[in-house]
Amino acid sequence: MPDGGDFRQQALAHLDALYNFALYLCRKPAEADDLVQETYLRAFRFEARFQPGTHLRAWLFQILRNTFLTFYRVREREAAVAEDGVPDWDVPMFHDAPEETGGVMDTHTDLERALHRLPEDFRTVLLLAEVEGLPLEEVARVMVCPVGTVKSRIFRAKERLRALLRDYEKK
Amino acid sequence: MSERIDDTSDEVLGRRLAAELTRHTAPARLRVTIVEAATPRSRRPVWLMPMLSAAATAMILVLAVMPVLPRIVPADPVQRYVRAVVSEHSRAIMWGARHGEVLPTALPWLTRESGIALSRVFVGDERLEFVAAEPVYLERQRGVAIHYKDSDGHMISYVALPALGLTVPDRERVQIEKWRPALVRDSGFASLVWKQGDVGCFLVSDMVSSDDIERFKEYFVRIRVSTEPVPAY
Repeated sequence: MPDGGDFRQQALAHLDALYNFALYLCRKPAEADDLVQETYLRAFRFEARFQPGTHLRAWLFQILRNTFLTFYRVREREAAVAEDGVPDWDVPMFHDAPEETGGVMDTHTDLERALHRLPEDFRTVLLLAEVEGLPLEEVARVMVCPVGTVKSRIFRAKERLRALLRDYEKK
Repeated sequence: MSERIDDTSDEVLGRRLAAELTRHTAPARLRVTIVEAATPRSRRPVWLMPMLSAAATAMILVLAVMPVLPRIVPADPVQRYVRAVVSEHSRAIMWGARHGEVLPTALPWLTRESGIALSRVFVGDERLEFVAAEPVYLERQRGVAIHYKDSDGHMISYVALPALGLTVPDRERVQIEKWRPALVRDSGFASLVWKQGDVGCFLVSDMVSSDDIERFKEYFVRIRVSTEPVPAY
């Protein structure tokens, strides 16, 4: 197992990949910043739990996704109890995040727009497997599900993506 | 674009995702923030907290015990009187007389309150200006204090107290004309101590340099000649 300094260096080598993934999950740069920072702090805190020989990158993605889901659920709960009864999706995911987060990331292509319309678990499998190139076993580990489930999600995600792209093409 | 849409196989779509999606790189400040946040802050030494606790406990104990500790009181009665008179003089310099009265108008009241009758009293001249007279309570005795101020702004306090057992020490006596009071220094003040009958008399000032002492002796003469204290009861 690498010592603390080495471990941090190795973990920080994946910063860009984690930030990219975070931004596609959150869509807001300020929230992506917070999410990545929280991910690293957790990784450093629980460094001892990392099993040497396993894929560090996948472990970090897993922490990031779990963190995202934790705060995402909190936000969903808070939005559900908004005073006017209307879900408020502008509630920041992190409580100390600035209210004005600098806007939502721009989507330049139909592909990006379509990707953002997918449910989170479909978006995640596509990002991990196709964009980041993680083996299916690693994706399964990140998603905490069997490899078969990952395959089926990828298949269904692509189907949805194709349908959305067709819709955009018609418009 | 339409060519790509037509080619909708899983493999092609996967390649498109990898190739066409914008890859966002992390802002430089994010790396700095993470590294700073993860750097452990310097820890306090292990011994610091127990040490502080012990020091705080000791301080509380000292504060609790201090009022019941025996006080160091000068054994010499002259020293005790001088210290009390100097304290009274310092208080008068800082805050003025508690109940300043004008002489000789207030003499009957002053005699009643202080237990010291002043058959004659120095009420000031061109060198020493009368400031105030007041009854005092020093060394468990009622007495009288009269404050003067000279032209240089020095405050001079005259204090008369019943002092039956007080003996003026011989070794500190100084000759001033026909009198031989004791010159005692305490806390940066000079005091002349003498007795008139059963009354102990004290003249205090911050005039301590050799030149000042000579002037102080002159003031003593002026006051000594004109003031006659006696126990009233």
